[in-house]
Amino acid sequence: MPGLRAALPAALLLLSSFPPAAAEQYPWPQAPGVMHPLNPNSREAAWAARTVLHYTNYRTASPSLLWVLHHVEKATVKVGGAITLGDIKYYLQFTIRDYIHEKHVGSCSATVLYLKNSPPQVRAKCVHARDKKQIQEADYRLYKYLQSQKKPITANSIPDNHGNIDRDHLSLLALAKVGSSDIMWKKSTEHVGYFLAQVKVVKQQIRTDDAVEFNFIVLLHKMPTQEMVACNMNVVWTLNDPIRVKYTCAPDNHELEDGSGQDSGSAAGTSHETKGNF
Amino acid sequence: ILIHDVQELVDQSTPETSNQKQIPESYDYTQYHPMEEIYTWMAQIQKNNSELVTQHYLGETVENRTIYYLQISQPSDKTKKIIWMDCGIHAREWISPAFCQWFVKEILQNYESDPKIRKFLQNLDLYILPVLNIDGYIYSWETARLWRKNRSPHMNGTCYGTDLNRNFNSSWGTLGVSYNCSSEIFCGTGPESEPETRAVVQLIERKKSDILCFLTIHSYGQYILTPYGSTTEPPSNNEELMHVAQTAAAALTEKHGTSYEVGSTSLILYSNSGSSRDWAHMIGIPFSYTFELRDKGTYGFVLPADQIQPTCEETMLAVTTIIDYVDQKYFPGGALMLTSGSLGLSLCLTAVLTLIVT
Repeated sequence: MPGLRAALPAALLLLSSFPPAAAEQYPWPQAPGVMHPLNPNSREAAWAARTVLHYTNYRTASPSLLWVLHHVEKATVKVGGAITLGDIKYYLQFTIRDYIHEKHVGSCSATVLYLKNSPPQVRAKCVHARDKKQIQEADYRLYKYLQSQKKPITANSIPDNHGNIDRDHLSLLALAKVGSSDIMWKKSTEHVGYFLAQVKVVKQQIRTDDAVEFNFIVLLHKMPTQEMVACNMNVVWTLNDPIRVKYTCAPDNHELEDGSGQDSGSAAGTSHETKGNF
Repeated sequence: ILIHDVQELVDQSTPETSNQKQIPESYDYTQYHPMEEIYTWMAQIQKNNSELVTQHYLGETVENRTIYYLQISQPSDKTKKIIWMDCGIHAREWISPAFCQWFVKEILQNYESDPKIRKFLQNLDLYILPVLNIDGYIYSWETARLWRKNRSPHMNGTCYGTDLNRNFNSSWGTLGVSYNCSSEIFCGTGPESEPETRAVVQLIERKKSDILCFLTIHSYGQYILTPYGSTTEPPSNNEELMHVAQTAAAALTEKHGTSYEVGSTSLILYSNSGSSRDWAHMIGIPFSYTFELRDKGTYGFVLPADQIQPTCEETMLAVTTIIDYVDQKYFPGGALMLTSGSLGLSLCLTAVLTLIVT
C-alpha cells in the first residue's frame, strides 16, 4: 500500500578504498625464530586451537569433560628455529565451551608445534570452573554402567540423520569423541583439520577384566577437502588410565590441485591409512 | 513450462517422509522437509500469496528435476532492483533450505504488519531459490546423509558428483579443488559444466544489472564470508562489504548470543576457486556474501531440528540488515526505521525524516 512520503533527500557517501597489498600464504617473515602476530580470526589460528583441543580431549580421557573451541583471542606464530627448518609453532590463547551443551566456559593457553613427520606437539594449560568431583563421579557412574552390561550395547547413527541423540546414546557419543580426538589430533596439520561428524556404528565388546571396550565406526569431516573419512576405532577404557585407542581409517588419496590438504607424513598419492597405539 | 503434478509428487514420498498436506498454514517450519514436500510448499505459497509471489522456472538438474525459485514482488509500476538468495547448493547442509523456507514465510507473514518489509519491497524484489542442488538433496535424504555434490555421472557411472560451489567461472579449477571425480571438491569437467550451475548463471547474467545483492546459504561454521576465495586480493568495495557484514553479524548475535565471524573466505576459511559468490561479485554484483549457518562442528551438518527456529530467527536479522542497508544505499530518502536492538549503519551520512501517509 504505497503512501505519500515527504522526505529530505539524503546523500550517502560510499567509502571505498584499496586495502594493503594481498598477503602471501605466510604473511610473516620467513626468518627462523621470529615471532609474528597472527590475526586471531585466521583459519590457521582456529585449526591450531582445535588441534590443541583434540589433544587435550584425548589425554584427559574423560567422557564427561570435553571441550570445543569458542573463540581465539590471541595468536602468534614462529617459524622453525635453529634446530629444525620448516617447523611451525603456534602460540594461542582461546576460549572454550563444553561439548554438546555449551553451558560451561573456560580458556586455554597453548602451543602447537607442527612437525614434518610426526603428530603435532601440543602443550596446553586450560582453566575452567567445572566441579572436578562432579566430573569424576559422572565418569565413574558411566564406567560402572557400561562395565555392568551383560549384553553388549549396540547402536547406529549418533546423531541420527536429523541430528537427534537419544539420551542413552549421549555417553556413547562422548566416548567416541574421546577416542576420535586421538585420531584427529594425530592427523591434524597446519592445513588439515577434522571434526567428528557422526558415529555410524557402536558395538560394545564385553570383557572379563575391569575394562570397558567398544568398537566404533566414526566419520570424520576433513577440511579443507570436505571428505568424510571413515575410521574403524577400538577404544579400551579403564578409569584413571589413559584411554587406549586403535584405529584404521579408510584410505584417502585426495589431494588438492594446489598441493594443500595433505595429511602429515604423506607422500603424494599414497594411502593415509594409519595404525593406532598398539 | 511443465509444472509437476503435485499429487504425483506427494504419492512418490518415501515411507520416511511425513504426510504433510498441502496447507502451508500447517507447514512445520521447525522440521526438515524432503524435496517432494518443498515442491508442494512452493506451489502452495504461490497459490496462497498470489499477489506477492510467483514461482519461476530456473532450469533442470542432471536427473531432469525442475529447479524453481520464488519471486516476492510488491505490485508496482516501479522497476525494482533484485536481492538474490539461494539455498541448498550442497546437499548435506539441510539447515540451508530450511532457512530459505523460513525466510519466505516470515516475509509473507509479516508483510502486512511490518513497515520495514513493506519499505524495502517498494524498491526491491526478492528472488529466493529454496533448493538448488535438488538431486543431491534427495540423495542425502534417501541414500547418503552426508552427500555434498550434485549427481552428475562420470567415468561411465563409476563416480558421481561435481561440487557446484567449485563449478562457477571464477578462476575455475585453480585453487582448493580436485580434478578427480571421487573428491568432494571435484570442480567438474569445465566451468559451468553442470546444468544446475548453468541454470543460475543464465538467470543472474540476464538480470545482473538489476541485482544488488547475491546471498548464498551454506552450513556449517557460523561465518559471513566476503569475496574472494580464489585470491587474498580484496574486492574493490571490501571496506563497505566488511562493514555491512559486521553490522549484520552483530544483529544476529543480539538474538540468541550466537557469534559469527566475518571475513574473506581465503583468509578465515580456506582458498577455493569456482564459487558462486566469487563469480557473482566478479560479474559486478556489489553485495555478495556466503553465509555458513550453525553450528561450529558439534553437530555440523546434522543440526538437530530444535535448532532450526533459533538459527532461522537470528539469520533472518542478519539478512534483513543487509537488505535494509542495500535499500537505503540505493534508494535513499525513505523512512527512518527505529528498531530496538539494531545498530545504526554508520556509512549513512544523513538521517532522514519521513512522513508516511497511508
